[in-house]
Amino acid sequence: MIHLDPAILSRVMKPARYTGHELNSVMKPHETVAVTFALAFPDVYEVGMSYLGYKILYSILNKRTDTAAERVFAPWVDMEQEMRQAKIPLFSHETFTPLAEFDLVGFTLQYEMSYTNILNMLDLGGIPLLTKDRKQGQPFVVAGGPGVYNVEPLADFFDFVIVGEGEEIIEEIVDTYKCWREAGEQGGRKEFLLAVSKISGIYVPSFYDVTYETNGTIHSVSSNEPTAPAIVHKRIVKDLESISYPVKPIVPYTEIVHDRIMLELFRGCTRGCRFCQAGILYRPVRERTVDTLVKIARQQVDATGYNEISLTSLSSADYSKLPELIDRLTAELKDDRVSVSLPSLRIDSFSIELAQKVQQVRKSGLTFAPEAGTQRLRDVINKGVTEENLIEAVGAAFRSGWTSVKLYFMIGLPTETDEDIEGIADLAQRVVKLFSEIRGRRGVKVTVSVSSFVPKAHTAFQWFGQDSLEELERKQHYLRSLIKDKSIAYHYHDARVSVLEGVFARGDRRLGEVLLKAWRAGAKFDSWSEHFHYEIWQQAFIDCKIDPAFYAHRDRDLMEVLPWEYVSPAVTKKYLAKEYREAVAGAFTSDCRTDVCGVCGVCQQLNAAVIDWSDSL
Amino acid sequence: MKIRMKITKEEEIRFISHLDYTRTIERAVRRAKLSAAYSEGFNPHMKFSFASALAVGVTSSAEYMDLELATDTELATIMRQLRQAFPVGITVKDSQVMIGTVKALMAVVNLATYEMTWLMSDGISEADLQQSLDLFDQEAIAIYVKQTPKGVREIDIKEFVAAPPVLHVEGDKICLQLQLHIKPTGSVKPTDMLELLIHKYQLPAFARAALIERTGLFISNKGRLLTPLEL
Ligand code: SF4
Repeated sequence: MIHLDPAILSRVMKPARYTGHELNSVMKPHETVAVTFALAFPDVYEVGMSYLGYKILYSILNKRTDTAAERVFAPWVDMEQEMRQAKIPLFSHETFTPLAEFDLVGFTLQYEMSYTNILNMLDLGGIPLLTKDRKQGQPFVVAGGPGVYNVEPLADFFDFVIVGEGEEIIEEIVDTYKCWREAGEQGGRKEFLLAVSKISGIYVPSFYDVTYETNGTIHSVSSNEPTAPAIVHKRIVKDLESISYPVKPIVPYTEIVHDRIMLELFRGCTRGCRFCQAGILYRPVRERTVDTLVKIARQQVDATGYNEISLTSLSSADYSKLPELIDRLTAELKDDRVSVSLPSLRIDSFSIELAQKVQQVRKSGLTFAPEAGTQRLRDVINKGVTEENLIEAVGAAFRSGWTSVKLYFMIGLPTETDEDIEGIADLAQRVVKLFSEIRGRRGVKVTVSVSSFVPKAHTAFQWFGQDSLEELERKQHYLRSLIKDKSIAYHYHDARVSVLEGVFARGDRRLGEVLLKAWRAGAKFDSWSEHFHYEIWQQAFIDCKIDPAFYAHRDRDLMEVLPWEYVSPAVTKKYLAKEYREAVAGAFTSDCRTDVCGVCGVCQQLNAAVIDWSDSL
Repeated sequence: MKIRMKITKEEEIRFISHLDYTRTIERAVRRAKLSAAYSEGFNPHMKFSFASALAVGVTSSAEYMDLELATDTELATIMRQLRQAFPVGITVKDSQVMIGTVKALMAVVNLATYEMTWLMSDGISEADLQQSLDLFDQEAIAIYVKQTPKGVREIDIKEFVAAPPVLHVEGDKICLQLQLHIKPTGSVKPTDMLELLIHKYQLPAFARAALIERTGLFISNKGRLLTPLEL
């Protein structure tokens, strides 16, 4: 057990990040369990504690009497320095056990710019970074989360990878581990990997060899283990009603990013926005029932004392029984003074009515995501929203008293021209005008937030060459020159980060070396602007003789073997190619949740079905 | 009804801030299913208050809190429910129902006692420690220059010292007891005082190595010390 010297804690910022003991955290003496599992989040406590996936796995694993699951976070740079100086290894927040003493260490891949933190945490935890260097007695290092759908840049670092939803598979992994352990770890680490690779949804990167063409593209990927599957399909929980939900989440002492109850209404979103990776990864749509949700909410309120519930899902306003759910939640929790909040709004007046119902406090303003500035481009990305929809929704918001709105856009989308950029400025201006028309005065605040499009694996745009850094920056500046009204605030993201994300989002195994080099040169917390050092990355690419443009900016041929094809969300390449063609044609694809099945492949390949309660009484 | 409680902030949660502590208690009250009273208005908040904020890193065996409930309940029941709801690091020591008009804790509490403990370094004797303290005692004013985010502030620590610091040495354990005024205009942190003793009066210690506990909060009136529960 690690003892943290109060002298150290009194020197670092936000020391409560490191001291554990939170309500509902589970502390089990390790001698009483067969398997120990570290759930490691490659960012600071406040971010990691807000991640629903770990709340779920923590609860499932700790329900087992044979398993202890504990949390590990990336220490902030000041704490890391103290730890390195005092030779304190990275530790868990429950029993203050060094990371290297766990049987399994899981990381979640939420965003590309957290990858250097994973290396840093392994290093701080005293675990060899490369799978090939890990020995008997050292932990197995596992990855999960959306990043596994192109885990190739991290292939050298992970012993195995969990593809898809973890509720069921995590227990199968623990069982397999226990078996291997009880059999005296026969056959060593390799034997366990062989056993675990037989679980559907497990990908063992070292079981596959990649060969390359002279032009740098992939020639072939072949398995070097006869039992390794040709393609690993994701796992899903077919019916969310069949699994338990964490009803006693940990209540932190110190404030975290999402400091409230998260109630997951459903999984999946099939609106079919063509840039959106989550829309592909989490298909098909599966809803929980209102009864279950109300029951869970009650239990969570009782167990935590939180006074806010956030209805979290990809597009919560799409929950088929939302009005009923909100009414019942409000009635159930009225005496507890719990408020219900909707994190994302659809662009329609229905959403405004709901927002009005649930958000008594108006301080936050409303957020809408038209994503693109012109109808033509919105058609390309299949964002089934018109300017009229937006005007209607924003108008309803202004009439109900809101005075500020935030509009999210992307630049760098396929087929984009300067006209589309101009469309963003025009739309923002129209919203400003709308406010004075409705309210008869000035004083609106419109925030235009623009990110740069990053093409992602397993989307219709996976073949598309991302805009160059120069082009993205030119567009950012062009847009700035078009926004003159003082009521419009314009924010945009560092395009260098987007390009780097673009490299890793569609990279292959050769990038592992770049990650290592960049981390050795000091890269970490790359998603925190104060810690992002572009020069480090540029140098790492030069040192490894790798051209980042090959991954980010190159248009790929439809015939090309893609590095991520061997791990699949079960949506077919054929479907994605069709969507790409329809994008260029500006054709609309409807939502299979309410319309016909578009045969994307998920339901067919996983023998699953959409679960939506809109037809039920 | 209004209830006054004496509660703790223990070792495990030493490093949470006062705001964290407040939020934690608010959630505990909600879990305890007490009929807490709320303020009126657009953004109602639970009616509870403290005597004086406690610095990050400092434990306390004597925090005081007033809690208002919308309905009358038996004190024992309330306390049982609260005790079950409090997380690790917070214990109820004492409580009572307040009758009549009650002045806010913040307005009446004007003195805090602290105990600082650390380990004696080699070659240091009790006499060395006492000498620094004597030096400090003899001063009329003792200015501590405090670096704040807003700039540099000079504080005369002597203005806040209610009684000379008392030293106890037991084996290699050093314990220093302080009595500090809490004034309407502000207060000094025990760490500020320790820093001053170290840097200006050569007290042989490391400020960051000291464990600090607030041992009492009082209403000091004409030389008499009363706890908020004795009022
Ligand atoms: S297979 Fe059909 S119903 Fe299932 S998610 Fe894909 S498009 Fe929707």
